[in-house]
Amino acid sequence: MTDWHAPDDLVARYTDGSLPDSDAWSLEKHLESCTGCATRVSRAVAATATGAVLADVRQAVVGAAPTEQAHTAAAGDGLLAHARLWSSRHLVPPVADSRWARVLWAAGPAVRGAWLPAVLLVGIGAMALAYGADFAGARPLLLALAPVVPVAGVALSFGAHADPLHELTASTPSAGLRLVLTRTAVVLAVSLPLLTLAGLALPSYGGPGAAAWLLPGLALTLASLALGGWLGLRAATAVTGGGWLCAVLAPALSPPDGAVSAALTHQTSAYLGGAPAQGAWAAAAVVCAALLAARGTAYDRLERR
Amino acid sequence: MGGHREKDESDAALLRAVAAGDSAAMAALYDRHAGWLHVRLTRRCADPEVVREVLQDTFVTVWRSAEAHRGEEAGGWLWTIAARRMVDARRAQERAARLETTPIDETRTGYEPAAAMPSAEERVLAGLEYGDVGTALDRISPELREVLRATVVDGLTTRETARLLGIPEGTVKSRAMRARTELRAALAQLTPSPLGGPA
Repeated sequence: MTDWHAPDDLVARYTDGSLPDSDAWSLEKHLESCTGCATRVSRAVAATATGAVLADVRQAVVGAAPTEQAHTAAAGDGLLAHARLWSSRHLVPPVADSRWARVLWAAGPAVRGAWLPAVLLVGIGAMALAYGADFAGARPLLLALAPVVPVAGVALSFGAHADPLHELTASTPSAGLRLVLTRTAVVLAVSLPLLTLAGLALPSYGGPGAAAWLLPGLALTLASLALGGWLGLRAATAVTGGGWLCAVLAPALSPPDGAVSAALTHQTSAYLGGAPAQGAWAAAAVVCAALLAARGTAYDRLERR
Repeated sequence: MGGHREKDESDAALLRAVAAGDSAAMAALYDRHAGWLHVRLTRRCADPEVVREVLQDTFVTVWRSAEAHRGEEAGGWLWTIAARRMVDARRAQERAARLETTPIDETRTGYEPAAAMPSAEERVLAGLEYGDVGTALDRISPELREVLRATVVDGLTTRETARLLGIPEGTVKSRAMRARTELRAALAQLTPSPLGGPA
């Protein structure tokens, strides 16, 4: 830092303890940053009666490396240190690693749990129906079920019933609406592409396109979140998801003429097909988003049920 | 003992080697810093047994935390560890003393800055010799000075200072405040010019 170094007499007086406080303090500050002077003082001290104590402690300290308290822990630390060193040279920094792991962990109880297999089951089941069983109504069926999938994901994402750490989570500053939306985003990010791709892969016999369910899905999800502010998320998703299934599937499953697939196609066309229907879903989504924004503080309180 | 390393190897390089488990590097680091750390601890703690323990603890901690060293001055880094260890030792001592139901005043005298302090004449001479700040520091009472030393020189927090000195945190704060006022007054006496106050 500076060119100043401790003169020999200062070192000597510090070593024998006769240096007054004010000078000792400034020398001590200097020693913190000047290894040269530190070494000189240490050498001077080692030449005094204290040298014996220093040698004793030195032996204990150097011996503490491989033998003492935690041979295994030390070895483990060493391995870890090497791994960290290696990864810091060759990969992304380990801090980023753990941060991503934490984000993934926080983002989705639904994605960790039974919901993800359920999404896959819906997609794969539709494929199997279409190609394995030659069921013409596979795509309408998928379109009818698809909007419920993200709603179910949302139900499994937040609240005391879904998250074993809910009390802890709810007490963090980032809990509340922000966390709900984060988890919803994760659910949507997983389910939208998967189900839309599955829909595209299915043979079409007329009826709405594979992406027709996206707006209804979004609207139902937002409706669940908005309703959740009053009813609690679980009840809200039951209302919206159940309501949708009743409206779409119930008439189709008991058609007067027995043609289930034709009835399904008709139902999904009625609910999803065409610009007016899609426009109505978009409007519903906007209304629900506005409601959610107005009711968002409800998620800041701990759910009591 | 294999402690003879090249003189120009930097502390940071030694600490990296220590993190990898190199005993020779630890020995070299110890030879560079243990001496002055011992003196510095001795000036703050009268019991040589405690000083020895704290010094050993410090370097044993270095084995574990060398990896966490981020290139700051190694001397300052080592002192930070040593100072914290000293506070811990102080706390353990106090707990033991409480178990023995020793009156608190007695445990307080276990910390004796006076033990390493120079005589009165020496202080006056040093004040004349080394200038105003030294003289001013010597004019304030030992109680205030030990608070100044722990907080300003040793970089301890208010809470750590309180533990080290065995006084309540509020007392640490008020003493630090009084030390500043008294220092300022002493310096003003020494230097008649109104602008010659403390920096």
